[in-house]
Amino acid sequence: MNALSIDARVDGIAAGRRRARALRFMSTFLILAVVVWSIEAIVIADTDWNRILTGSLLSTMQRFLDLDWSLLPDLWEPALETVLMATLATLAGLVLSIPVAWLGASNITPYGKTSYAIGRFLMTMSRSVHEIVWGLIFVSAVGLGALAGILAMAVRSVGFISKTIAEAIEDVDPKPLEAIRAAGGTKFQILWFAILPQIIPVFVGNMIFEWDINIRRSTILGLVGAGGLGLVLFRQMAMSNNGGIAVVILAVLSLIIFGEVISYYARKAVI
Amino acid sequence: MPAKQLSEVGIVPSAGVMPTPGSVPPTWSRFRYPQSLYKYGALLGAFAFIAFALDYLKIPMDRLPGMLGRMGEMLARRYFPPNVDHILNAEYWHTVVETLQMSYLATVLGIAISIPLAWFASFNMTPSRRYVYPIARLIIMACRSVHEMIWTILLVAILGFGMLPGALALTLFCIGFSGKLFSEAIEAIKPGQVEAIRATGANNLQAFIFAVLPQVRVAWAGISIYTWDVVFRAATVVGFFGAGGMGQYLRESVQRVASRDVAAILLSIVVVVIISELMSAWLRTRVAKAIA
Amino acid sequence: MQTVLEVRNLHAGYADREILKGISFTLNADDFFAIIGPSGAGKSTLIRCVNRLVEPKSGEVIFNGRDMLKLTPAELRGERRNIGMIFQEFNLIERLSVMDNVLTGRLGYTGTFRSIFRLYTKDEIKQALVLLDRVGLGEHIDKRADRLSGGQRQRVGIARALIQNPKLLLVDEPTSSLDPKISREVMGLIREMAREFHIPVLCNIHDVDLACDFCSHVIGLQDGVKKFEGPPAKLDKQALQEIYAMEVL
Repeated sequence: MNALSIDARVDGIAAGRRRARALRFMSTFLILAVVVWSIEAIVIADTDWNRILTGSLLSTMQRFLDLDWSLLPDLWEPALETVLMATLATLAGLVLSIPVAWLGASNITPYGKTSYAIGRFLMTMSRSVHEIVWGLIFVSAVGLGALAGILAMAVRSVGFISKTIAEAIEDVDPKPLEAIRAAGGTKFQILWFAILPQIIPVFVGNMIFEWDINIRRSTILGLVGAGGLGLVLFRQMAMSNNGGIAVVILAVLSLIIFGEVISYYARKAVI
Repeated sequence: MPAKQLSEVGIVPSAGVMPTPGSVPPTWSRFRYPQSLYKYGALLGAFAFIAFALDYLKIPMDRLPGMLGRMGEMLARRYFPPNVDHILNAEYWHTVVETLQMSYLATVLGIAISIPLAWFASFNMTPSRRYVYPIARLIIMACRSVHEMIWTILLVAILGFGMLPGALALTLFCIGFSGKLFSEAIEAIKPGQVEAIRATGANNLQAFIFAVLPQVRVAWAGISIYTWDVVFRAATVVGFFGAGGMGQYLRESVQRVASRDVAAILLSIVVVVIISELMSAWLRTRVAKAIA
Repeated sequence: MQTVLEVRNLHAGYADREILKGISFTLNADDFFAIIGPSGAGKSTLIRCVNRLVEPKSGEVIFNGRDMLKLTPAELRGERRNIGMIFQEFNLIERLSVMDNVLTGRLGYTGTFRSIFRLYTKDEIKQALVLLDRVGLGEHIDKRADRLSGGQRQRVGIARALIQNPKLLLVDEPTSSLDPKISREVMGLIREMAREFHIPVLCNIHDVDLACDFCSHVIGLQDGVKKFEGPPAKLDKQALQEIYAMEVL
């Protein structure tokens, strides 16, 4: 048994707990110190509180709440366009993702470390560059319009889709792979018969997730003239019709809730 | 389960498995009737859908071929070489620090709000399934469904130009992003530990702190760092719509049609984002090890 | 003999399926009750109805002179402090240390603010230490719970239940995650502690031999109905057959 008396041990434990607590306080304090520094820069130094407080803060907000429902009948078609654009972009993203995932999955990458690095670099590039930037790049290539928007979304989707596919491939159970290799299967056959069946459930869930994200991305790509609700939104902004802006945002919200419901049932059907 | 998946995609086990008499059709095919009908029907439907969508959106497919060539040519002609001098000055570095500050404040604030929100929005732990749960879910979903740049535009319209609307927009984005992931992590915890803490007479908050937090700690730390990474990525661009940070430069250069300046800025954005991504990956593994 | 717990005509279940169909029994001070029965008989539900981890549909659970089913949430939390519980899967907080796990037994007595900072009194730490020494884990107080063996984890679970100063101990299949030798040690420890602190025990147990060896009184449950009640000596083949009639052996 322990040589120390029970009270001495209790004192030791209590001291240890105090030290642990002090450490927790210290780390919290550090986080908060940086917060204070950021607040100083953002909220105090950079913000013209005079203008906000004396100005039209409340009345501007009020104008957003004054919903312009007259817009509603004209939203059905753009909503359909948005859904079509997001779907096309997700599909195009998928097509582009397959070779990237093939390169970036360490267990099937064709040329060892070189092709693996290329695959990973493409994934990072796709995710690192914001859709706005991709949009601006594609506008200069194909002009303003839905195509630029779809391409921007597709390229931006590649990072996520190919990364999850590559990870799913890396997690694949190697036994069926060996079985087909042993039976003299080609590389394509390995991919098609041994890997694909194993990654389908993950894959469908992720595609739905990305589709969902592309719906909301499409709203901002109104900036590059991509159609759908995004274009309506930017038009309302140009007109400073705040009530209209709010209605379009509500339309996007309901579209996404709708998508969430569909994806819930789709996931249930697949998994 | 694996057997079912194999048959779903039409793989008939042939090698090494004795087929049951009568189950193998005379001509071997991956797809058997009526499965083959569904497969080809679905494929046909998908193509029809794509054709319809392309037609409906009036997408000029003729612009696609040669797109890469045109892009390359244009990049070479107008964007190359990037005007690095435009960004190699103290003022620009200052906006990089501003971007960091915005993303940091937004992430800390957003996560501080997300924690209770995720608790309320997790089906297994919510204090009230009938009232609190749907409200919390709706708040998270509303934050998520509006694109972070739309939030920025709205808040700039209300608060004027500056870092504050940017930080607030990113906060909302962070709530939508981390709130969803946080609540999913809570929904995956082991219920037994919650039961044990409840059985001691603990209240809801104590059950959350002692039974939920220890279980989600590692997952949440990883999600938080990842969220910061994603928020930072968005923070580089919010300036494009009038909020602060590096994006202001982008906006200003795009408006001047100074393509080589734009190229330099885009390059710098990609570089800092890749650095942040590497740091966040490193930090994630370190933190996971430290608190696992 | 003083009555600690009285269950009267307890019904529980979901809309479409009734799990408990009118259970009644009385537990006195110094009793060690075993509830036996095939899996799915409602043993776990019965025990959880006592501290309302499962909400019963109707009936009465008189504990400490009050009907548990009529308590407000705050009163229920107050009453739960008087009921210690030991679980089948131990249900320790795996990422907390052994000491912190035992101290969670004091949460019902700790204010919310103090518990946020894990502030426990020195007295509570001392109690935890004494109990951990008592269950043979005095050397492991700083270890994380998930580093312990199954038997050690259940000992932590016992200490966590006892630090509540309970007036009743609910024990849910304490041994079914343990091997036979450790099972007997754990059951022996529970009985020893219950005698030492004069706590009556209500214990679910699948293993009839263990029930007979360690408990003073047996309740046989089958499909939500009480089929047997009496001392282990009376539990003959006939009675067992009736309890386990549904189970295909």
